[in-house]
Amino acid sequence: MLTYLLRRLLLMIPTLLGITIVVFTVMAMSPGGISAQTLVGGMDMKPQEKQALLEYYNKRYGLDQPAPVQYLRWLNNVSPIGFVTDEHGKRGEFSFNKGMDLGSSFQYGRPVSDILAERIPITLLLNLVTIPFTYLIAIMVGMKSATHRGSVFDVGTSMSMLALWSIPTMLAGVLLLGFFANVQHFHWFPTAGISSREAQDMPFLPHWDETGFVRGFLLDRVWHLVLPVICLSYGSFAALAKLTRTSILENLHSDYARTARAKGLAENDVLWRHVFRNSLLPLITISAGLLPSLLAGSLIVENIFSINGMGQLAVEAVKGRDRELVLSITWVSGFLTLIGYLIADFCYTLADPRVSYD
Amino acid sequence: MTEHAVSRESFAARIWRKTLDGAGVKVGLAWVALLVFAAVFAPFLANSMPLLMSKNGVISAPVLQYLSVEDTWVLATFFIALAVYRLRIGTAKRILLFLLGSALAAVLVNLFVKPPVLVIYDDFRSAAYTEADWRIMPPIPYAPTDYLRDLGSKGLEAPLVTEGYTHLMGTEENGADVLSRMIHACRISLSIGLIASGIALLIGVVVGGLMGYFSGIVDMLGMRLVEIFEDIPTLFLLLTFVAFFGRSLYMMMVIIGVTGWSGYARYVRTEFLKLRKQDYVQAAVASGLPLSSILFRHMLPNGVAPLLVAVSFGVAGAILSEATLSFLGLGVVDAPSWGQMLDQAVKSSTFNWWMAVFPGGAIFMTVFAYNLIGEAFRDAIDPKLSSKAGVNT
Repeated sequence: MLTYLLRRLLLMIPTLLGITIVVFTVMAMSPGGISAQTLVGGMDMKPQEKQALLEYYNKRYGLDQPAPVQYLRWLNNVSPIGFVTDEHGKRGEFSFNKGMDLGSSFQYGRPVSDILAERIPITLLLNLVTIPFTYLIAIMVGMKSATHRGSVFDVGTSMSMLALWSIPTMLAGVLLLGFFANVQHFHWFPTAGISSREAQDMPFLPHWDETGFVRGFLLDRVWHLVLPVICLSYGSFAALAKLTRTSILENLHSDYARTARAKGLAENDVLWRHVFRNSLLPLITISAGLLPSLLAGSLIVENIFSINGMGQLAVEAVKGRDRELVLSITWVSGFLTLIGYLIADFCYTLADPRVSYD
Repeated sequence: MTEHAVSRESFAARIWRKTLDGAGVKVGLAWVALLVFAAVFAPFLANSMPLLMSKNGVISAPVLQYLSVEDTWVLATFFIALAVYRLRIGTAKRILLFLLGSALAAVLVNLFVKPPVLVIYDDFRSAAYTEADWRIMPPIPYAPTDYLRDLGSKGLEAPLVTEGYTHLMGTEENGADVLSRMIHACRISLSIGLIASGIALLIGVVVGGLMGYFSGIVDMLGMRLVEIFEDIPTLFLLLTFVAFFGRSLYMMMVIIGVTGWSGYARYVRTEFLKLRKQDYVQAAVASGLPLSSILFRHMLPNGVAPLLVAVSFGVAGAILSEATLSFLGLGVVDAPSWGQMLDQAVKSSTFNWWMAVFPGGAIFMTVFAYNLIGEAFRDAIDPKLSSKAGVNT
């Protein structure tokens, strides 16, 4: 098992390299390439000043070097094994625990690692709240459909699940925002952001005091997160519910279930103690692909609900042609995707004792 | 003794018959047919100029004079497709004939169709065109790029509130009528869906076929390539492409195609890994047939079934990607697009519900229709496919 994990981790490295090479090639091949032109703005600068600023940016960020050299320098900075470079960009000696330096963003002027450290927790919060919510609903709906096959609930939900899956995320976001978070219609939920300004000063838990009910920081967060989580989760739970139903249906009529019933076990026990665990495998397969699709979906959701997460950062980085930020986001997303696959494969061994990777 | 009833149906006919059995797929196919009709006949359905008018006894058709190169080519291709469909020849010949016909049509249309460069839609509401003996207007008398300046339109009006002029779905921010823009946007959505999926299918089949046939080291390297393109955050790569390379419809089609081929490659690879051990393949290799013949004439027709399912979902995905890009502000600027109209629903300070419901509803119905068709195909070909969804084979 350990050798398998190690092998998977080592195999991740060429894939991550490949992903960053593809994105870097896209940036380098574009008209204008990765140059300081986009940074030096303003028509009202004298040519010498503009030239001087251009040279400063070129020197600072190494933008006048050919693309492969730029890529190799970036790779050297990012990897923990490499040449140590000092502030002037001079190459020092080779070291095995150099530390990772993700560079600094052109647009924001701050180190990329700081920006990422601010934004990743928000996106992770959104996604990690969505995943259990999705699974809970999907399993409940799928279970009920499978056990009451052919009933009104079953037929109704399978049609509506397919329809729900087809609704594009941005349409759902726009409709939810427009109808439920709007002063023109129901103003049940807040319009933007992940917590309101007053909530920063509130204590964590809700309580009553002289002014009435005070929504604590926790409830305020929850209230802000309701619409984005609904928006992110409905697509996944539609697909998962269908899958759960198929999988449970298959296992409900299997031999071991029949034996258990023949031995006199209650239907509830047959369902939850035997059938359920065996139906989990397709769910785990899908969960491997869930985290990447959630990261992609959060791009749109964060845009609509103005949440300052990684998705929002990705859009801004790309629009601002920010080389360091784009590359860092690429490999962080790629890394999370691959970790997602690895965790899913690992969960297989937990769910199904027959599966072993040696 | 009972007679064995031998079925004389071909595989394709049987799949087609089983697919059409359900109710959902009929709805899906009806919607797609409606979209194709709207896309092909758009200039006749929604335009500011009269279809046919008679002035002082002279009958003229202004619409025909102003048909652009693109409109004419789409019409020509549609009729060529109809004609090729009615002919009784093999599938490969049909596809080849269709491609040749549309290429020829493109050349001819570029040579002979020269519409006037400048179109001023306000003229069609002036006396020269309104005082006629009789005139037949298109069902929706507004062109998609007619910004209704002479009517004092301020844009973003709700449906049916403007006096005197019926805007069945309201107007958008520049003043143009939403329904006519939606009809013309069908063209972009359908063409992006089909062409992007076609490109992805082509790349996926070739790469997957080679991987499955040769296996060994080719398979290992190919798998790394497939993994790379699978793990790249697709939307992000699309954004990067569009932001760095600028916006163009053809560029978007190519990009969506180039980023989406990994699913097809996986399917084809699995099928070919199974098929290469079959007798007929071994016989084909032993007879010395060229590689392309073995792959595409012998192996591919037997492995194409799961691809049909993947293509339906792929077209839906491509349409969704284009709508998302337009929504994020990176789509094509002048041509009407559903995603761009959806973006206008939340851009201004008020929520314009008609901009969200109608274009959004169109995107939803299209994706829903393709998903229904894909599901029906999947149930017809192999009901067990759905439980194997996405297993890393």
